Amino acid sequence: MNIEFAPDDWGLYVHIPFCRARCTYCDFNTVTHMGEDQHRQYLGAVAREWQSAKLPTGRLISVFFGGGTPSLVHPSLIAGFLGAVRDRIGPIEDVEITLESNPGTLDPNRLDAFRQAGVNRLSVGAQAMQEDHLKALNRIHGVEDIYSAVEFARQAKFSNLNLDAIYGLPNQTLNQWQETLSKLIELGPEHFSLYHLQVEEGTSMAIGVAQGGLHLPQEDIVADMADLALTMLNAAGYEPYEISNWARSGHESLHNQLYWTMNSYIGLGAGAHSFHNNRRWWNFRGVRRYMMMQGAGESTVEGEEQLSVSEQMREYMWLGLRRRAGISKDGFAIKFRRTVEDVFQVPLAKLVDLGLVVNGEHRIWLSHRGWEMANYVFRIFLDSGTG
Amino acid sequence: MKQQVIRNFSIIAHIDHGKSTLADRLIEHTGALTEREMTDQILDSMDLERERGITIKAQAVQLEYTYEGQRFELNLIDTPGHVDFTYEVSRALQACEGALLVIDAAQGVEAQTLANLYMALEHDLAIIPVINKIDLPNADPDRVMEELVEIGLDGTEAILVSAKQGIGIESVLQAVVNRVPSPQGEAQGPLRALIFDSRFDSYKGVLVYIRVIDGVLKVGDTMRFVATGKEFQVTEIGVFRPHPVAVQELGTGEVGFFAAAIKSVQDTRVGDTVTLANKPAPTPLPGYRPAQPMVFSGLYPVDSQDYGRLREALEKLQLNDAALTFEPETSVALGFGFRAGFLGLLHLDVIQERLEREYGLALITTAPNVVYQVTLIKGEVLRVDNPALMPPAGDILEISEPVVDASIITPTEYIGAVMELCQERRGTFKDLSYLDPKRAMVQYRLPLAEIMYDFFDQLKSRTRGYASFDYQLAGLEVADLVRMDILLNGEIVDALSVIVHRDRAYYRGKALAEKLRELIPRQLFEVPIQAAIGGRVVARETVRAMRKDVLAKCYGGDITRKRKLLEKQKEGKRRMKSVGNVEIPQEAFMAILRVDDPS
Repeated sequence: MNIEFAPDDWGLYVHIPFCRARCTYCDFNTVTHMGEDQHRQYLGAVAREWQSAKLPTGRLISVFFGGGTPSLVHPSLIAGFLGAVRDRIGPIEDVEITLESNPGTLDPNRLDAFRQAGVNRLSVGAQAMQEDHLKALNRIHGVEDIYSAVEFARQAKFSNLNLDAIYGLPNQTLNQWQETLSKLIELGPEHFSLYHLQVEEGTSMAIGVAQGGLHLPQEDIVADMADLALTMLNAAGYEPYEISNWARSGHESLHNQLYWTMNSYIGLGAGAHSFHNNRRWWNFRGVRRYMMMQGAGESTVEGEEQLSVSEQMREYMWLGLRRRAGISKDGFAIKFRRTVEDVFQVPLAKLVDLGLVVNGEHRIWLSHRGWEMANYVFRIFLDSGTG
Repeated sequence: MKQQVIRNFSIIAHIDHGKSTLADRLIEHTGALTEREMTDQILDSMDLERERGITIKAQAVQLEYTYEGQRFELNLIDTPGHVDFTYEVSRALQACEGALLVIDAAQGVEAQTLANLYMALEHDLAIIPVINKIDLPNADPDRVMEELVEIGLDGTEAILVSAKQGIGIESVLQAVVNRVPSPQGEAQGPLRALIFDSRFDSYKGVLVYIRVIDGVLKVGDTMRFVATGKEFQVTEIGVFRPHPVAVQELGTGEVGFFAAAIKSVQDTRVGDTVTLANKPAPTPLPGYRPAQPMVFSGLYPVDSQDYGRLREALEKLQLNDAALTFEPETSVALGFGFRAGFLGLLHLDVIQERLEREYGLALITTAPNVVYQVTLIKGEVLRVDNPALMPPAGDILEISEPVVDASIITPTEYIGAVMELCQERRGTFKDLSYLDPKRAMVQYRLPLAEIMYDFFDQLKSRTRGYASFDYQLAGLEVADLVRMDILLNGEIVDALSVIVHRDRAYYRGKALAEKLRELIPRQLFEVPIQAAIGGRVVARETVRAMRKDVLAKCYGGDITRKRKLLEKQKEGKRRMKSVGNVEIPQEAFMAILRVDDPS
C-alpha cells in the first residue's frame, strides 16, 4: 500500500455534468435537462480543451470520468474522447481509466462498449441498499439495479470495481447501514468509497432538514456508522488507504491518491479543477457557457491561485496525511530542500504529544485517533507558520 | 402669568401600545415639524432603542398649541419603559403634572399599564386615559373602558384615538389643556430645577434636561449642582421643538435644557437639583437618589489585543451614561478586562450590544452578580463585586447581600403563584392587601440577586402578564452565602465562579454543571466539569470527547473547497475562549443565567 508515484506522474479528470435527475443531497456541477445532442456537443468541447491543454511532461497514469453521471452519455462519446487522448500521447493500456456510473444507466451492451472504449475501472454509485432511502434521495435506480449493474460489469470483464455508499442519511439507522455494508461486501467489489453525508447549502435536502421534515442521525450514531464500516470492511479484507476509501491490496485508486500527493492533474470540462506547477485553476461551471467559450476558442478558466512555498508545504501535510501511508519525509525534503521537522517543529511536536500523529523514521502518518480527528490535525497545519 | 399657559405631561404605556406613534402625531399636529421632517418615532433617538422597542433616554419636546384663542406651551416629557430604569421614570414623572395613559384598544389593560399608572398616581399626576389603535379590526374600546373602571379610572373620560391614522389627536391636546393642571411654584423664589435627564454632546458638552420648579435660570448664570456641589456658568439654554431652539431663560414651570461646558454626565445626576451659586435654595427637591449600579459583570475582549479598544469604548459610553461604571480587573481564565456596573440586566444587554455593534468588539461577558459586603473574622469589611474575589470561607465572619422591598400588584387569582415565586427566590413575606375585590398587592423582601435574572419574566409568565412589579432597595441583609467554583479539566475557571445560597448550592451546582455540559462543545479530549464549594465537589458532569471530526467527502480535485471548509471551522473556534486546553464558547460564561430554579 505504500504506493509512491513518480513526482511527475499525472492524471486527467473529465467532468461529465449530465444527470437524469438531481439527487437531493447533490450540489455538484450537474444539469438534468440536456439530451444526446448536447452530450455530443459538450464532449466535442472537452476534446477541444484537451487538444489545446498544456500537458505535464511526466507519465499519464489515470483518466477519470467524473460527474454528474458519465455513464449517461453514449459509450461512443467516451470512446471518441479516449481516442483523442491516444492520438496525443500514445497508447494508454496501462493507464487507470475510471468511469463513474449510476446503476440506473447501465446495461450489458453499454458496459461492453465502455470496456471496449478502454475504461478499465468502473465506479458504481450504489449509495444505499434500501428502496426507501434510494427513493428519498431521488436516485434514479432501485436496489435490484445495483445487483444487476455489478453482474453486468463482471460479465463485461471489469475486474476493478468500486462501490460508493453514503452514511449519515436522514432517518438512517445503524442497522440499515450495516445491511447496506454487508450486502455491498457480498457483491465483492475491489474498492469502496464511503462518504459521510454533508448537507450542502441550497440542496433540496438542506431545505428538508431546515424545515424539520428530515432528521439527521445524531453525532454518536454517525460515529458508530464510521466505526462499523471500518470493522466490517477490515474483516472482509479491505484496507483503508485514504479517509474515505478502502481497497483490496493492489486495487487502490491511483486517481484518488494523485490529489493528496500533490501530483499534477488536468481537469477538463465545466467547473473542472486542475493542479500543475503549484498552480490551481478551475473552469467556469456553466455548461452552456463552457461549450460556447470553447467553441469560440476562448479560455474557459474562471479562476486560479498560485501556491506560495509555505502554502505548498502546508498542503503537502494536510493533503498527504489523508492517506494511510501518510507523507514521506524524504519526499518532503527533496521537494522543499528542508526537513519536515525543521518546517513544522512546533505543530508536529504538539500533534505527536496529543497522540494524533505518528512520527516514524521515514514517514509521518495519522494515528487511529488522528484518523478520527483528521480535521483537527489539518486545521493545525493550515494555521501553522513554516518558519 | 406665564405659568398659567404651561402644561407638562408625559405619555405612559405598556410596550407596543403606541406611545411613540402618539408622541409623533402630537408633534406633527401642533406643527412643530413639517411632514418632511417627520421620521417615525422621533423621541427614541438611538437605533438600538428603536429596534428593541424600548426607550432609554428621556427627552422633552415643547409643543405650541392654540386653544380658544389662547396660546399654550405643552411640554411632552418622554419616559423610559423598563423596570431597570424605574428611577429615571420616576424623575421624569416628577417633572410633570399630568400623564396620558395609552392603552391598546385590542389588548386592553396590561401589566405595564398598571405599573405605570400606579407610578404616575404616586406623583399625583392627572391621568388622561387614551385608548389607541381604535382602527384595528379587533379593537374593542368598550371593553377597555370597562377595564379602566376596574382599575379605578373613569372609563367615560377616555379619549378614543388612532395615532397611526391621526384620529382623535385634537381631543388629546384639548384634554391636556383642560385636565392637566398648570405648574405651581415660586416664580420669585430661589432657583430649584429638577434634572430629569442629561446627554453628552460633543460640541456643547453635557446637555442637562431640567424642569424649573421655582425661580428662573438665565444664560450667564452661575449654577450649582446640589448633589456634587459643582458650579458651572450657563452658556446656552434651549428647548426642543423638537429641534433645539435657543432661548434666553427658563422660567418657573418650564422645561428645557442648558449647556455649561460640563465635560461628563457623571456631574449631572438625574434627580439632582440645580440652583444658583449666588442665591442657593435652602432645601433641594426631594427624592434624589444617586445613580447606583446594581449589577456587576466582567467584560473581556475575546481577542486580548482589543483591551485598549474596549477601554476607549467604555469611556465613550460613560460620557453619556451616568449609571455605567467600570474598573480594570484580571481573570486567570480570561486575561485583562473590566468589572462593569449596571442598573440592571437590560442595561447590561444594551451596553454589551452597543460595544459589539458600534465598536465592533467581540466580548466575553461573565454572569452578572450583585455586590456583597463581607465582614472578615479579623473585623475588616470588604465590598466584593466579583465572585472570584470572595475571600476563603474560613476568613469570613458573615456575608451581607443587597435586598429590595418588592411590591407586586396582581389580579387576586394569581396571588398564590406570585407568593410561590417569591418563596422560591428566598423572599420574606411582608404584607398582602386587597386594593379592591379583584386586585391585591403582595409585598416581599427579596434578595436583589434573586430578582436580577429572570424574576420579572417569571412573574409575567406566571400571572399571564397581569402583575406589575416595582422595587426599592432596602439595604443589606446577612445571608448564608458561599462561593461555588467551577473546574474544567480539574482547573478552577475563575470567571465561572458564582455566589449562591448554601441551601441551594447543591442544586445550583448540579444544574450549572449540566448546563455547561450542554454549552461546551465536545473537544479532542473529554472535559470533566465540577462544581465545588471550598474544595468539596458538589456536582460533576463530563463533556465526552468528540468522536469524529473528519471530512469524509469527495470534492473531486477541488482542494480549494476543502480548504475553505477547514478555514470556516477555524473561524468558529475563534469565537471561543481557550482556557487551559478547553475551548469555551461565550454563552458558557452566562450559563448560570440559564439555570432554572426548581419549581
